[in-house]
Amino acid sequence: MPYSSFSPKARWDRHIHETGEEKSSTAIGRRIEVLVWFKNTRANPRLFIWNNNKYKIKEITYYWQERRGQETLHCFSVSTGLDLYQISFSSVSLSWRLDKVIS
Amino acid sequence: MILHIDMDAFFASIEQAINPRLKEKPLIVGSRDNRMHTVVCAASYEAKAYGIDSGMSSRDALQLCPNLEFVPAQQGRYIWISEQIFRMLEGYGFSLAYTSIDEFQMDINDSVEPQKFARQIQERIYADFHITASVGIAKNWLLAKLASKLNKPNGIAVLTDTNLTEILDLVAVGKICGVGKKTGQILSDLGVKTCLDLYLKSADFLEQNLGKYGFNLYLSLHSQERFEPAEEESRPKSVGHSYTLPRATQTPGFIRAWVRLLSEMVAQRLRAQNLLADTVHLWLNGPEMGNLGAQKAFHEGSNDGYQIYQRSLKIMAKIGPKMPKVRALGVTCSGLLPNRYLPLFEEQKRREDLLKTIDKINGRFGEGSIYPGIIGLTKRMPRI
Ligand SMILES: [Mg+2]
Repeated sequence: MPYSSFSPKARWDRHIHETGEEKSSTAIGRRIEVLVWFKNTRANPRLFIWNNNKYKIKEITYYWQERRGQETLHCFSVSTGLDLYQISFSSVSLSWRLDKVIS
Repeated sequence: MILHIDMDAFFASIEQAINPRLKEKPLIVGSRDNRMHTVVCAASYEAKAYGIDSGMSSRDALQLCPNLEFVPAQQGRYIWISEQIFRMLEGYGFSLAYTSIDEFQMDINDSVEPQKFARQIQERIYADFHITASVGIAKNWLLAKLASKLNKPNGIAVLTDTNLTEILDLVAVGKICGVGKKTGQILSDLGVKTCLDLYLKSADFLEQNLGKYGFNLYLSLHSQERFEPAEEESRPKSVGHSYTLPRATQTPGFIRAWVRLLSEMVAQRLRAQNLLADTVHLWLNGPEMGNLGAQKAFHEGSNDGYQIYQRSLKIMAKIGPKMPKVRALGVTCSGLLPNRYLPLFEEQKRREDLLKTIDKINGRFGEGSIYPGIIGLTKRMPRI
């Protein structure tokens, strides 16, 4: 037997918010329009529009999912060559958001 | 043979994969947003080179390396990636167990060549998740876990009957999982300094000097057994939550709000498992009082956060009229029994319906979507 039968859910799915003293200045949380290329059963965001500006995506550095109740967020970290952004697609609202600028 | 697969600097490696700017830089992942007031959850290998490691305060870490990069922990993504790795490993068809969020154990048979197989797993993890893992292979889980630490990062170590004694002789006994400072000191006083020294001791010797733990240690070290995959979780003995504040505070309303939040979290877990608890344990820690814990058993079991909170306050009242300086606190419920009671009075029934509805809303929209107003106070540290 391994020394502990660990279930990641038992420990990690209970979100406990943090007592904060400073707000992260990079959070944005705005709706955006996104052009996505579906290729090899994967969604590849190629371009997003935020504040009437077009941002061409040069590279998707990572993809992961996060859960909020019944909602699944499909998260992408995307690079425009100049900056790195986190954008996400909600399985409930079927909309895209610009979550933050990753510094 | 058992394969122990351990991700290298898991959280830090994920953050480096997400943000290429952080690659090959000393980086810490902190448990909260404020880089000056947090604890290191994970350190990149570049940070470890400065002597920085998990558990250290971020302030100390920054002192060791002034140009240290910092990212606050993002639990959600780490859990998801951990689950994906588990699923991928499951695909190989061997029995598999989680031992922590970034460690997995697999019981392989003779159909694969261990070292080659380990290499294949490493490559797969790197290709799919852009992070590295170290693999230890040995006849039992304890030695496999030890082996996984020997060639970190991105390493493989195999302990076989032929090389076992030679390798164990080179490794300090403190590297063995479960041998902490205290046990290490006892062993050292007995002349047991290396893993080999320990390995060669008899079960009787270890039991005489370390009690039952020593006997179990002997069994774990020498076991040839395969493991069964983790069984379904059995009923827990207690349910608790604790939290460490960014700094100590005496503000009563703020401390009570945290007691309420922790009580609600405990209660929600009790309800999810349809349990009642009749004993509440409150634990406080502060710079002046040190650790202070007290518990009280009540006639009636409860899984209502408000009631558990009220019971915690009763315990707190015994501490004294003045609120002490609190840095960390915890609420734990024990004396668990299955909830078989039907509400007798209309008032109880309404309360139960309310709790059920709250659980449903939070289940659908995410934890913390609806909460008692007082909990809002926990989000901001009060100014002194
Ligand atoms: Mg690890």
